Amino acid sequence: MTEPFRVLALVTDAFGAPGGIAQYNRDFLTALAEEAGFEIVVLPRRGGTGETAPVGGITQLPARPGRTGYIATALRTAATSRFDLVFCGHLYAAQLARAAARIRRSRLLVQLHGIEAWTEPRRNARKAIERADLVLSVSRFTRAAALGWSTLPPERVAVVPNTVRELFEPGDRQAARAAMGFTDEIVLLSVGRLDSRERYKGQDRIIDVLPALIAGGRKVAYVVAGDGDDRERLESRAREIGVEDAVQFVGELRETELPSLYRAADLFVLPSTGEGFGIVFLEAMACGTPAMGLAAGGAPDALGDGSLGTLVSAEQLGPAIAALLDGQGVDPSALSAAVADRFGRVPFRRAVARLAARLVEVA
Amino acid sequence: MCGINGIFAHNPAANAPNGAELLRTRDAMAARGPDGTGAWWSDDGRCALGHRRLAIIDTSPAGAQPMTSFDGSLTVTFNGEIYNHPELRRVLEADGVRFRSASDTEVLLHLYRREGAEMVRRLRGMFALAIFDEARGGVFLARDPYGIKPLYIADDGWTLRFASQVKALLAGGAVSLDPEPAGIVGFHLFGSVPEPFTLYRAIRALPAGHTQWIDAAGSREPRRFASIAATLAEATSVTASAAEVRARVRASVGASVRAHLLADVEVGVFLSAGIDSGALLGLAREAGQPRRAITLTFDEFRGSAADEAPPAVEIARRYGAEHVVRSVGRAEFERDLPAITAAMDQPSIDGVNTWFVAKSAREAGLKVALSGVGGDELLAGYPSFRDVPRWRRRFGPLAAVPGAGMLARRVLAAVAPRLARDNPKALGMLEHSASWGGAYLLRRGLFLPHELFGFLDPELVRDGVARLELARRFRASLRPDPGSDVGRVTALESTFYLRNQLLRDADWAGMAHGLEIRTPLVDFTLLTELAPVLPRFGGGAGKAALAAAPSLPLPDAVARRTKTGFEIPVRQWMRSTAEAGESRSRGAGARSWARWVFGHSMITGKVA
Repeated sequence: MTEPFRVLALVTDAFGAPGGIAQYNRDFLTALAEEAGFEIVVLPRRGGTGETAPVGGITQLPARPGRTGYIATALRTAATSRFDLVFCGHLYAAQLARAAARIRRSRLLVQLHGIEAWTEPRRNARKAIERADLVLSVSRFTRAAALGWSTLPPERVAVVPNTVRELFEPGDRQAARAAMGFTDEIVLLSVGRLDSRERYKGQDRIIDVLPALIAGGRKVAYVVAGDGDDRERLESRAREIGVEDAVQFVGELRETELPSLYRAADLFVLPSTGEGFGIVFLEAMACGTPAMGLAAGGAPDALGDGSLGTLVSAEQLGPAIAALLDGQGVDPSALSAAVADRFGRVPFRRAVARLAARLVEVA
Repeated sequence: MCGINGIFAHNPAANAPNGAELLRTRDAMAARGPDGTGAWWSDDGRCALGHRRLAIIDTSPAGAQPMTSFDGSLTVTFNGEIYNHPELRRVLEADGVRFRSASDTEVLLHLYRREGAEMVRRLRGMFALAIFDEARGGVFLARDPYGIKPLYIADDGWTLRFASQVKALLAGGAVSLDPEPAGIVGFHLFGSVPEPFTLYRAIRALPAGHTQWIDAAGSREPRRFASIAATLAEATSVTASAAEVRARVRASVGASVRAHLLADVEVGVFLSAGIDSGALLGLAREAGQPRRAITLTFDEFRGSAADEAPPAVEIARRYGAEHVVRSVGRAEFERDLPAITAAMDQPSIDGVNTWFVAKSAREAGLKVALSGVGGDELLAGYPSFRDVPRWRRRFGPLAAVPGAGMLARRVLAAVAPRLARDNPKALGMLEHSASWGGAYLLRRGLFLPHELFGFLDPELVRDGVARLELARRFRASLRPDPGSDVGRVTALESTFYLRNQLLRDADWAGMAHGLEIRTPLVDFTLLTELAPVLPRFGGGAGKAALAAAPSLPLPDAVARRTKTGFEIPVRQWMRSTAEAGESRSRGAGARSWARWVFGHSMITGKVA
């Protein structure tokens, strides 16, 4: 019997931690273990609450929050045992991952997410990434950006889109609306951090088009989910243009509360220019709610180039929302099924299995 | 000979190919294939192939493409000619394969089924092809060893798009127009865009002599199946007398010429006053073929020593060919210029001659013509075969001192600015002659890297130089070491000038007129056969052997005639078109023409 393919995963966080990247790492590593039978040792920088435990085949080492301690542990782990592959979960760790991979001549797999990979990283990180055997990107846009700042051959950067989990599914829309206290309003929804340093999510763009939508005779409510230090600015913007009654800031919600929120909305809209992929579009559509975004960054991927959701330019946002609200509604279960077909658990795990085979193939 | 294209949505997240886009790309190549069109879809709708046909072998509908195997599992779209397809067919038939057509295309399907990717090693000819393999769920791409036929690919990570032309991919409307600094810098260094780069970041050439596999796990890196350096390195050099060298040239070139005459339509020949095309005509006439030879002449040269017509007339008469002499003048050049720049797929500082000779051949009703292109690369005909090894020996050791070259250039530029202006390349002598590739760039280059800062955005130049990785590419073209000075220069000339410039020009300029240009002297079988004696071709021996190859040898006057440029009047026209008044240094015409061409090539903007 051949020995199992062994992986050392250097990640910021994975099992038991909150956030999108931790979620992606869990999804990816679990699929690698379950679909390809890889044996994985995870070294996280940050630990977590332990809510999500690794499956069989995956061992998560204790978190090493300190930089020096993390580096030492990573290199020691790589040196003391055989690994066929080092998985680098974030480009900031690429140089360390490359060093760890060189100890035992392991292959190197680097994961790129979003905005952090859109501009050229520090020279050492770039050099390390250029030596990777395979680079994974969550979207075509991130891939194109990486090919722009590196000399990587295009074939060495593959796209594995994010995946949407089963808890995002259509459900009782009326109950969801009632729970939010909505009656006959047209509900627009955005989900995303309100971070003053990264004002790319575009909630202010929607606030700005609300007067025109309301003047068109519509009773509109705009629900802003997510929190952060940009909230105050958005609130005052809404007051400035007299739509504060139409905007509801509901703060950051727990994941289990999100499906119901998505179902309550008539349209999920996030005119963001900085989505690495835009998992929230998938979540909304998986819940049966139509989604709209800008043709920028990774959003076209999540919106299926316009075949799942709607892609607009920033200038066309207001008219496009109006047209969509006035048009025919979508069939929630058909939309959800179309999303699951491309971005559900099953296609994701198949994609990971194929890449695993590719990694073994380049051996 | 044709135009091919395809769209393969390999990532399950991608939308299915768009039929209108497929046809936009295909029909942007209408000139490549005026005789027929085809489009094919896989059963699952995830792969679509297009084809435009120029019918030359089995001109019946049975040769139409894309062509699907009898059981429906393989479909091919193919541009090129397989000259040994009759032999391959016999072997396959002896093995029990039943053919449905007389075309070489069908041979590809059967060969792929039997041998998979290895099939390419069996093909003699020029080819760019794509095979959809339903059972394995992927697309197989391949391109001939010299890169005679082009194949451009654009894979965004979800969807693979490919086509015979860069502009056709852009015409589809789904490929990004973001510029590729390496392609832009490469064009200014060489006068043509070095593969795998194009002017656009999203589009690359499948490198010559490579195959590629694409399936749901993405595009795999291209795999090399043939290389000029390796072929030369692996040849066991033989001690042969001069007479034996000549005999080998006669036998091998003769066999290549005969192979290249295979067609169901008439094959003509481009005839200049040089050895290459004259010998081709002589050898081809021995095989009872081409009836007609086409010679281009320029109004400006009539009656002068530079006129190609009188020697060509003599050659044609000697071999009993019907001779078509076509005269071109400045007015026609200026009239055709918009069409030339439109047909030029990637910018090139040459190709205008090929445009006119192809146009003349087409006017004469020809669909196929032999060209002597490649003779100078194979038979050590260029001055570079003398200069590159010499510079390398003379300046190489000094240049190996780190920083010496750049220092010398700066000092010279400071103390002798006039010399620096008039001889920009002399300044680079020390900087570049430390390596074979550098010395070659010095000989062949249009501009040297440091000069580009003078007129291109400095950031673009730095980025382009870094992405081009020129030193690495030069080294790769010489690995494994071809083993002789002639071999090294042959590898460099064939990998850079011939592949990126001459063959590209022959493709776009021929195809613009629906003319298939065949290249008996650019033939991998021929290279393999001559490799053992290639080191003996220096000092004019190679070209002399070719002149003596026909049983009725070329006239002495032709064999000894010094190279005159065919290209000289064209250069003058180009120069005045480009309005180069600012510099009179040598090569300034080519340089200003290059900048004019570039200005008329780059498509900028955003995809709709």
